[in-house]
Amino acid sequence: MLDQLLSLFDALLKQTGLAHLYWGNFAMLGVGGTMLYLAIVKKCEPFLLIGIGFACIVVNIPGSDLAEPGGLFNYAYKGVSLLIVPPLIFLGVGAITDFGPMIANPKLVLLGAGAHLGIFVALILAKVLGFTLSEAGAIGIIGGADGPMAIFVTMKLAPHLLSPISVAAYSYMALMPIIQPPIMKLLTTKAERNIQMAQLRKVSRLEKILFPVIIAAIVNLFFPPVAPLVTMLMLGNLFREVLLVDRLSDTAGGTLLNLVTIVLTVAIGSTMSAKTFLTLQTVEIVGLGLLAFVFGTASGVITAKIMNLFLKTKINPLIGSAGIASVPIAARVSHIVANKENPKLFLIYHAMGPNLAGVFGTAISGGILLALLGSK
Amino acid sequence: MTPIPDNVEGAFLISIIDFVLSFVIISGIGVILAILPVVNRYWVIDDKDLKGGH
Repeated sequence: MLDQLLSLFDALLKQTGLAHLYWGNFAMLGVGGTMLYLAIVKKCEPFLLIGIGFACIVVNIPGSDLAEPGGLFNYAYKGVSLLIVPPLIFLGVGAITDFGPMIANPKLVLLGAGAHLGIFVALILAKVLGFTLSEAGAIGIIGGADGPMAIFVTMKLAPHLLSPISVAAYSYMALMPIIQPPIMKLLTTKAERNIQMAQLRKVSRLEKILFPVIIAAIVNLFFPPVAPLVTMLMLGNLFREVLLVDRLSDTAGGTLLNLVTIVLTVAIGSTMSAKTFLTLQTVEIVGLGLLAFVFGTASGVITAKIMNLFLKTKINPLIGSAGIASVPIAARVSHIVANKENPKLFLIYHAMGPNLAGVFGTAISGGILLALLGSK
Repeated sequence: MTPIPDNVEGAFLISIIDFVLSFVIISGIGVILAILPVVNRYWVIDDKDLKGGH
């Protein structure tokens, strides 16, 4: 009788996840827990890290089949892997973004290209470490600091690396207020950080309506591989700027954006199972991602300083780092660093110009990468 | 098109092409943005007309 009971209990135990627990699960539970801590206690990008951290914890509990085919998290992942979710994120972002600062000061768009040196540093180093060129391209795009674009390019070039690349991209975006300021201060003098910028001109409604139409046309013409993302960004922005379809604009930038954010974060977190995530490759990718952010920030500031050699009206080089994209986090960092230096400086509106240009800079770099590597 | 070699030289090549082309194309966008205000000479859209028109 006792033997029977013990064998039944043993069989029952084997049905649970307890028998399959190993150190990797505990490590990933720690990673997920850290993300929740950063989001809830430190208030680092809670909109992203809560979903990612929670899903990471759930998929690392042995027995959980939410991320297995047929599970709910797996359907969320399908939305990402079929490239449905990233364009919808961009639709929402377009609907809540005012491109006025970028239209008002066109010369600052150069910073959107200048701040992307990190992409290429990471790409070359990834190749040196032995990744294939396609994998290196996907890793490099982390330096664009644009989550949906990183996912989009990765799914085209190296879908098996989605988990570490998306985690690195979103984690470093959340950590930009910590990563960027020391580099910005190191590369600028006190006098440069105190440069006051002239007020921007007012952009007319007509310009704001024409802008998304023109950009969508250019991107579809020259960069078909990344056109779905930028086209949706521009459609969302057109909804916003025509002032006629508030319901569509509000839905795209509100309910829909929130919904796809839930799907996206859960999908990313669900890819972080111990077996696929705890590898040397992940460590290398996370390291390369950090280097990409560091070099991107530095090259943005240096590009701004080079521009100042030619400009009559100088720009504050602190806005250069905002060219790395990651709207609006990078612009906010530029503003905060300047404002701490001199409380009279308000750079946020100026920094939004290169910050928005950075989105296009990443899209252009990603589009060229996909075209050169033969991906459709 | 000749495929880019899957080695470190290929990575350098792709990086240089991409970095330079990015500057060229984003400069092109900058030029378009610089001439965009010209449209204001020919047409003015009032926010009130749009908001009241639907």
